[in-house]
Amino acid sequence: MFKKVLIANRGEIAVRIIKACQEMGVNTVAIYSDVDKEAPHVQLAGEAINLGDPTPIESYLNIPKIIKIAKETGAEGIHPGYGFLAENPDFAQSCNDIGIKFIGPPPKVISLMGDKIAAKTTMQKANVPVIPGYHGEKQDNVSLIKEGKKIGFPLLVKAAAGGGGKGMRIVHSEELLEQSIESAKRESKSAFGDDTVFLEKYLDKPRHIEFQILADEHGNVIHLFERECSVQRRHQKIIEETPSPVMTPQLREKMGKAAVAAAKAAGYTNAGTVEFMVDGNLNFYFMEMNTRLQVEHPITEMTTGIDLAKWQLRIACGEKLKPKQSDLSQRGHAIECRIYAEDPSNGFLPSIGTLTKVDAPTGPNIRNDTGIYTGMEVTPYYDPMLAKLVTYAENRTESINKMIWALSHYVVMGVTSNISFLKTVIEHEEFKKGNITTHFVDDYFKDWTVEKDGLPIDAIIALAIYDSMHSRKEEIVRYKEADPHSPWKHVGRWRVGGKGV
Amino acid sequence: MLEDGELVERGCEILFINYEHENHVYNVSIERRNNFYYITYNNTEYKAEAEEIKPGQLTIKVGERVTKSVITEGEKEKYIFIDGDVFRVKPVELTGKKKTKKKEEGDLNSPISGKVVNVKVKKGDLVKKGDVLMVIEAMKMEYLIRAPFDGKVENVNFKEKDLIEIGEITVDLKKREA
Repeated sequence: MFKKVLIANRGEIAVRIIKACQEMGVNTVAIYSDVDKEAPHVQLAGEAINLGDPTPIESYLNIPKIIKIAKETGAEGIHPGYGFLAENPDFAQSCNDIGIKFIGPPPKVISLMGDKIAAKTTMQKANVPVIPGYHGEKQDNVSLIKEGKKIGFPLLVKAAAGGGGKGMRIVHSEELLEQSIESAKRESKSAFGDDTVFLEKYLDKPRHIEFQILADEHGNVIHLFERECSVQRRHQKIIEETPSPVMTPQLREKMGKAAVAAAKAAGYTNAGTVEFMVDGNLNFYFMEMNTRLQVEHPITEMTTGIDLAKWQLRIACGEKLKPKQSDLSQRGHAIECRIYAEDPSNGFLPSIGTLTKVDAPTGPNIRNDTGIYTGMEVTPYYDPMLAKLVTYAENRTESINKMIWALSHYVVMGVTSNISFLKTVIEHEEFKKGNITTHFVDDYFKDWTVEKDGLPIDAIIALAIYDSMHSRKEEIVRYKEADPHSPWKHVGRWRVGGKGV
Repeated sequence: MLEDGELVERGCEILFINYEHENHVYNVSIERRNNFYYITYNNTEYKAEAEEIKPGQLTIKVGERVTKSVITEGEKEKYIFIDGDVFRVKPVELTGKKKTKKKEEGDLNSPISGKVVNVKVKKGDLVKKGDVLMVIEAMKMEYLIRAPFDGKVENVNFKEKDLIEIGEITVDLKKREA
């Protein structure tokens, strides 16, 4: 085992990895930027080295600085966490070059999986299903229609240069294909100056389901079942669970085999995730492979009992995987909610400020992975994720109930958080039924705002009592009625600025 | 807890507080009497018992209903966590006259414009500090005018069902030297 590992990350994931190292008797080196001086990962690690300027490119993305610190502190391995440098092949290569073990797959595998087209080609060769499509050069109508018919309907016509839905058409039948290709081309030409289009099978009711992989450096690959990650906002997951409510033993077996085949085809080592899209008829297609420990790894740990972070360290040290595929089983149901400093009623924009109070719920089978504390400043420099709240119970209903309880008892004050939103989503009838797709948040919560019923009476009473207890006479904004036309004649709720209630 | 005498000297001290939340202003008044808080909002009075378990952490009982909340203060705003939700409020200033004038002894002004519903004393009565002299009702709340000291009633300026304006003197009381 390593004697010392540097954790090239911050926040909850740095804390998570430091704890795994410490449980295994591995010394730890944390790195931190100027704004993270008092962060939990800094407090917890055996050593902590300052990176200076908080700008990511000058701190947690600065390869030369981090490599230099690793050398100077005598770290034998570097764990990149997720985000930042976790999927940067140059960083992995830089580690290798100076003889420090990068805790993750080899640089060339990171590069291969980072190239989405090359990754798909690799998967096709390994007989892993990919989304049928045409990305060829023949752009005349006759060729495109021929390719379109091969793919089948509904299909998606996509501008090669596209983005933001421009030059994109969903085509439901052959008769509409030609006119859709033409209008997509026209739109693409005027928007991007290029009328090249791709064709891709359009997935109805798509779900995002991924499989966790562990691969050692001796050719052993196992999967640790699925995670259902369909509930997303702005293409980022906010709620994950396992098992997936749509999974059947047969499908799990098929997808698990495909995931193992995908990892083998890529020459993968260490922990990784194979992401699939699953359509309404339970057809699944390879989407991409994430060459890192995922944010949502705890739900797999809860249901399998396997500590993924520790296995990452063991695998990186050359140990063989002990658990065999046949040893593994899923037990119970786990859900993760990502708690962000963001405003769901305002386009999920990040919210910054000082956390005036943080108090996390505790209880049987409630896991709270976090890097925040009361008094901490949430800065605009890094990802606004504050914590990952995980509940585990014997079945999905119980796990949902536990999550509702835990969210209701999670105190985060000082910045706007998405806790109320998460609770509303979890309590939604369709979520409870397991009817979720990647469109779930858009379908049901497009214009969601916090219930504008205003301040509940209980809050008004509590605030008034608090002020009565704490305010000295001079401090309080307090008036006595002198004017018969004063606002006190209109007690109750009214709006500043003359807008109607 | 305010001393009873202090209460009376301030003429039944009431805090008027305005909270702004999501562009709405909430006018609240609160008065503390005999271990109870009387909170008035939207023409309704709530009688509450409250305890601060830890700093900012309140347990409040209104009737049989118990609520728990956590309150923290930012630079200007306050945050309250209640029933799983967080609300941000800002105290706001409204037009009105700040109460600054310290009352003269025996000057028993009405704290509010309202109706006299009960007169407990008559001219010549001897009263003890804390005795109720008059009850005034406004916005469905009752305000008790109490004697700030031992004394003799010199004059009663209002009778039952009279309308009284804020600041008008309820009872003239002459302090009796001990």
